[in-house]
Amino acid sequence: MLSRINSKTIVISLSVLLLLYFVIFPMGILLFDSVVKDGAINFENYRNVYSADVNWKALTNTVELSLMVMIASVIITFPLAWLVGRTDMPGKKGFRTLLVSSYMIPPYVGAIAWVQLLNPSVGYLNNIFKWMFGLETAPFDIYTFWGLAWVLMLFYSPFAFITISRAMEKMDPTLEEAARVSGASPMRTVLDVTLPLMAPSILAGGLLVFIAAGSCFGIPSIVGMPGNIEVMTTRIVTYIYMGDDAGVRDSTALAASLMFIANFLLMGMTWMMGRKDYTTISGKSTRPNIVELGKWKWPAVFAVSLYGAIAVVIPLASIVLTSFLKSMSKPIEWSNIGIEPWIPVITSAQYMESVWNSVVYGVIAATIGTLLSLFVAYLAVKTQFKGRSIPDLLVVIGGSTPSIVIALALIITFSGNFGLNMYSTMWIIIVSYLVKYMTMSVRTIAAALSQVHISLEEAALNSGANWLRCCKDIIIPLVAPSVIAGWFLIFMPSFYELTMSLLLYGSDTKTIGVLLYELQTYADTQNASVLSVIILMIVLIGNLILNKVSKGNVGI
Amino acid sequence: MSEVRIEHVFKRFGSVTAVNDFNLVVKDGEFVSILGPSGCGKTTTLRMIAGFERATEGEIYIGEQCVSSSLKGSFAPPEKRDIGMVFQSYAVWPHMTVAENVGYPLKIQKVEKSERERRVQEMLELVHLGEYGKRYPNQLSGGQQQRVALARALVAQPGLLLLDEPLSNLDAKLRESMRFEILEIQKKTGITVVYVTHDQSEAMAMSDRVVVMSMGVVQQIGAPHEIYTQPANKMVADFIGLVNFMDGEAKGDRVFLKGTNVSFPNTNNIVGEATVAVRPENITMSLNGGQIEGQLTHRFYLGDAIDYRVQVGEHIVRVIVKGADIDAIPDGSKVYLDFDRVMTFEK
Repeated sequence: MLSRINSKTIVISLSVLLLLYFVIFPMGILLFDSVVKDGAINFENYRNVYSADVNWKALTNTVELSLMVMIASVIITFPLAWLVGRTDMPGKKGFRTLLVSSYMIPPYVGAIAWVQLLNPSVGYLNNIFKWMFGLETAPFDIYTFWGLAWVLMLFYSPFAFITISRAMEKMDPTLEEAARVSGASPMRTVLDVTLPLMAPSILAGGLLVFIAAGSCFGIPSIVGMPGNIEVMTTRIVTYIYMGDDAGVRDSTALAASLMFIANFLLMGMTWMMGRKDYTTISGKSTRPNIVELGKWKWPAVFAVSLYGAIAVVIPLASIVLTSFLKSMSKPIEWSNIGIEPWIPVITSAQYMESVWNSVVYGVIAATIGTLLSLFVAYLAVKTQFKGRSIPDLLVVIGGSTPSIVIALALIITFSGNFGLNMYSTMWIIIVSYLVKYMTMSVRTIAAALSQVHISLEEAALNSGANWLRCCKDIIIPLVAPSVIAGWFLIFMPSFYELTMSLLLYGSDTKTIGVLLYELQTYADTQNASVLSVIILMIVLIGNLILNKVSKGNVGI
Repeated sequence: MSEVRIEHVFKRFGSVTAVNDFNLVVKDGEFVSILGPSGCGKTTTLRMIAGFERATEGEIYIGEQCVSSSLKGSFAPPEKRDIGMVFQSYAVWPHMTVAENVGYPLKIQKVEKSERERRVQEMLELVHLGEYGKRYPNQLSGGQQQRVALARALVAQPGLLLLDEPLSNLDAKLRESMRFEILEIQKKTGITVVYVTHDQSEAMAMSDRVVVMSMGVVQQIGAPHEIYTQPANKMVADFIGLVNFMDGEAKGDRVFLKGTNVSFPNTNNIVGEATVAVRPENITMSLNGGQIEGQLTHRFYLGDAIDYRVQVGEHIVRVIVKGADIDAIPDGSKVYLDFDRVMTFEK
């Protein structure tokens, strides 16, 4: 009994201390640095930073872009979610997979694809439009505010789609049927019942898109920077790259602002979701009202296919095609397609080292993160300690903080000023992955743990096992599928991570995301495409395993 | 108030026939229950009356209106059927107050505001929720929410009230008292009711007539006492109340218990192999002689009665005796059974 309490208490308090040290402490330092100068609190940093027009413009750009992307995402995904979830449209299941799959494409790969498609000089689609309509100049320019909004919208709308369609599935269909027998037409039912009941979820999905779009660095740096469209994240990176103290100080003020916006919205979202108790007792599962589309069936299929093609198929095709083009300057025809462009990439020791680095860091982060998630989830779900959900909260705070803010906080905290110097080592990169990506893994494992009844554990303890033994023999085997799922949920985003790696890598710790980013900025489109396809293949394999293990319940 | 006529209604989902040739006339002001095990097609039938499912074949009339006809290809949507409906899950809208919930059908009908408020209040009084108009549903108990749903279903004075297992989410005590409340409201309003349930005592206690369904087919339609005392077939006998089945053989106008010379009237004109059915409470047991000899194997104390198991040939017969003394007959005793109100069916 004594040993049980001891091992449990030690393991759990160690997890809490680790989280405090690596999540909360660095962010505290970042905030502190942003408001303290020469030992006194003042807001000079903020005044300084925002008196520069370029920074103020970046702030307004970020807000305008995120707002636009949020509104567009909701307007587009609500009908999509409705068509896929509540109508008799053929091929619904396939469409659902297609619509969420842009979620698993690394955003900067998407950006690279759209640059290939719509850059004003040689964009594939621009060329097609020029040829089709006999135009002199390219009709679209990706390097604009609208181009940036377009790519952000395509890659972050799945957040809204997933939230909205989940809410649609969870809604008790008899709530709508009750309106129909009360005399309301189908349209009136949507207005009076469906929309008001879904409003919190729609807003929550929208806010997720807003936060994700505003915190994104990959897409704005690839699509926005060439056209001098600056956002908060690109400004922060520019300041950090200046490398001097003043640059870092200015970046802290910007990063703290970004962190505040994101967390403020997140709090608003949580409040919104909890404001009214919309849970209803649902009886036997009646089939949800499947609306018959009738003559609108095929137009609906066409519209959804078109969106799927634009959001997923065309950009992926562009990347794959480019990766097999023998010469970028020659036209696209069979004689110009071959495996040749792949050879130098696969045989390059330098490139393969980056791929290997990413795999290793991903594996280490996923393994440590899964163990930690297991303890955090166990504490929150299975124990009665006061403050048992604090570690969970710390993990959520880490996950909701913009990547760029995490990276900056780690740089200023762990460069030797506070005992630990991890700068330029692989460990600072791994810590950043852990801080950012543990949320999903904790969620998944906690959900599985809550299904394991306490009596199973008590039976093991009664049989003479201590708590660690009980974890090993009883709990972990029972939640194994979720633990494996949790592992992949950390591994995959870590593997293709860009933003934090870009700020934290050293000469020996370059990752595949950083390499790809460099190739793209050096305008080496060909090798960038090959590398993108390699990333996509690994992510696809990871997702297939994840899908298999979780029986389709979890995916990136 | 409306009469409901359902004529030769079929519902097929792909190759599965969920409802097979359903025929029923519910008279004006009548309370009819559709009773059956889950998956028997009772809810599908109700949803066809409501207009949430389209009948594959057949005609449905509510009052004078033909709401669904496969011949004419006509189909009235739920909002055009002049019905009220109460769902198992209550389906009370969480974003509206109690009064807004109840007043919604009147709002759709564009009833003027003061008139609407008056009628809502009247309805709330009827379901004993007069004070609750300004509350939100999440502040109410399950039973209260179900009363809100009932008030909402009745406020527009529809011709027909449909109830889909309305009490099955409530606890046992509340369920019983709600039965009487629903009945009382039906008496006051005189509304025609079609009530779907899998709970036989609910159907028996509340209905004028009961429709017993199984595997999509109507097995019997009759008053509760008819269904209980004269079940049309083995399925109905088995589903309603407790029953012992034993093998028998029909010879002329008598059915003999297999292997004995004990016989009962052949009420259903069976030829050859038959089933003898008797309810446990219709058996008397004694130590001193009777129709059938057996051996007592188990006794279960139920408080108001004793539940015995008696081995008769290869059958275990269940006998329930009210107010018996548990110690009077020990296990293993040789006992004699007399069967009363025996039913005979085809095997």
